[in-house]
Amino acid sequence: MRDDLRFRPGDAIAAIAVLALAGLLLLVWLWLPRDRQTTVQIYQNGVLIRELPLDTDTSFTVGGTYENTISIENGTVSVTRATCPGEDCVHTGKVSHAGQSILCLPNRLEVRLSGTPEVDEIAR
Amino acid sequence: MNRNVILFLLCTALLFACFGCNLPRNQRFERIYYDVFDTVTKLSGYAESESAFGEQADKVYAQLHAYHVLFDIYHDAPSGTNLKAINDAAGGDPIAVDPQIIDLLLFAKEVDEQTNHRVNVTLGAVTKLWHDAREAALADPEHAVLPDAQLLREAARHTGFDKLELDESAGTVRLTDPLARLDVGAIAKGYVAQKVSEQLPDGYLLSLGGNVVAKGTKPGGSAWTIGIQNPDEPSALLHTIRAENLAIVTSGDYQRVFTINGISYHHIIDPDTLTPAMRWRAVTVLCEDSAVADMLSTALFLMDYETGSSLAKRYGADALWIAPGGTEYRTDGFGAYQKN
Repeated sequence: MRDDLRFRPGDAIAAIAVLALAGLLLLVWLWLPRDRQTTVQIYQNGVLIRELPLDTDTSFTVGGTYENTISIENGTVSVTRATCPGEDCVHTGKVSHAGQSILCLPNRLEVRLSGTPEVDEIAR
Repeated sequence: MNRNVILFLLCTALLFACFGCNLPRNQRFERIYYDVFDTVTKLSGYAESESAFGEQADKVYAQLHAYHVLFDIYHDAPSGTNLKAINDAAGGDPIAVDPQIIDLLLFAKEVDEQTNHRVNVTLGAVTKLWHDAREAALADPEHAVLPDAQLLREAARHTGFDKLELDESAGTVRLTDPLARLDVGAIAKGYVAQKVSEQLPDGYLLSLGGNVVAKGTKPGGSAWTIGIQNPDEPSALLHTIRAENLAIVTSGDYQRVFTINGISYHHIIDPDTLTPAMRWRAVTVLCEDSAVADMLSTALFLMDYETGSSLAKRYGADALWIAPGGTEYRTDGFGAYQKN
């Protein structure tokens, strides 16, 4: 083996330093807050009017031309009551997957779960 | 010496990797419209910037709105004529209309012939009775009633393409029967989605109330993923489809519904029985052309499997039928699109 390629104590220190740095970076990455957490986003007329965590149970009413009562319960969201005609939003039931949404055309409302959707669009 | 070369190469690689992750990439944007075709319209697309997407979206909305006004049968056009004007003038003189209306009605006539009159835009007198019954039922569910069978039979006498005069060269349209009415609900959304999507670049997805058109692929070449809704559970999907330059349209018994004594009545009217068709829960059609996909989904919803599948074949389309009870039928080519 040529002299300049021989393993020296300094190399070991360098290797340990690189590994330590990698480990530190991994820890920092793991400790970073997850902004990927699913949230419930309420859009009206295409504008985000409210955003709440999906893991905190709550219930509230959104006004407009009609009223929709939105309930977050056990990691699912649903429109539990609505004054709109047809109540398609209520009939949609509970949604819980990222990217899914509940629509209320009469009240121009969309309740959407944030995150990358499983599908790009739904044919109905 | 060797070690220096290796070190240099490693550093260069690292440098490129870092630049790689910071390269400007097309981002995904979307817009939702609530005021065209009485449905929710969603435009999704990948663009360099929000303003680049916005420019595209504005163009799409302007087109959608123009078509919405032209094909509206419930409201007068703010200026010029539209389908309501043709209906209002039934039995009178021919009226001059926008070339887009002539184009739509010529397509409608071809559809009527190809589907053995299952998909017929001159059924307006009949569908109006159902529309009015649904509106009344939604406004006052306690007193919901079905359209009178005698009135439906009487209305059916004022349907058929023999009551529509189309003069292509003069650009005029006339309903010869004073009680005949046009209703393009079964074909208009697909037709408009097709026209509008023709102007869209690859990497865009247009959904006109569930009439979906996928242009090209997503950046990087992966196909769009389109879900097919479960008729029994609106928030669940039955299948997912890989879509690239493809239109996906579903006709289902769960859309535009009203309920009387626990029985649901939907909006796809069988021209023979003059009542909502009961043969299928839903039919999904996959086809390159959205106008064809839309009209086929209604046609197949009104036909038995054999007749429907040979019609789909004639148009090079694929389809999925969901029967009451959940049994599925599909064309031979459908499986190739399925993701799950």
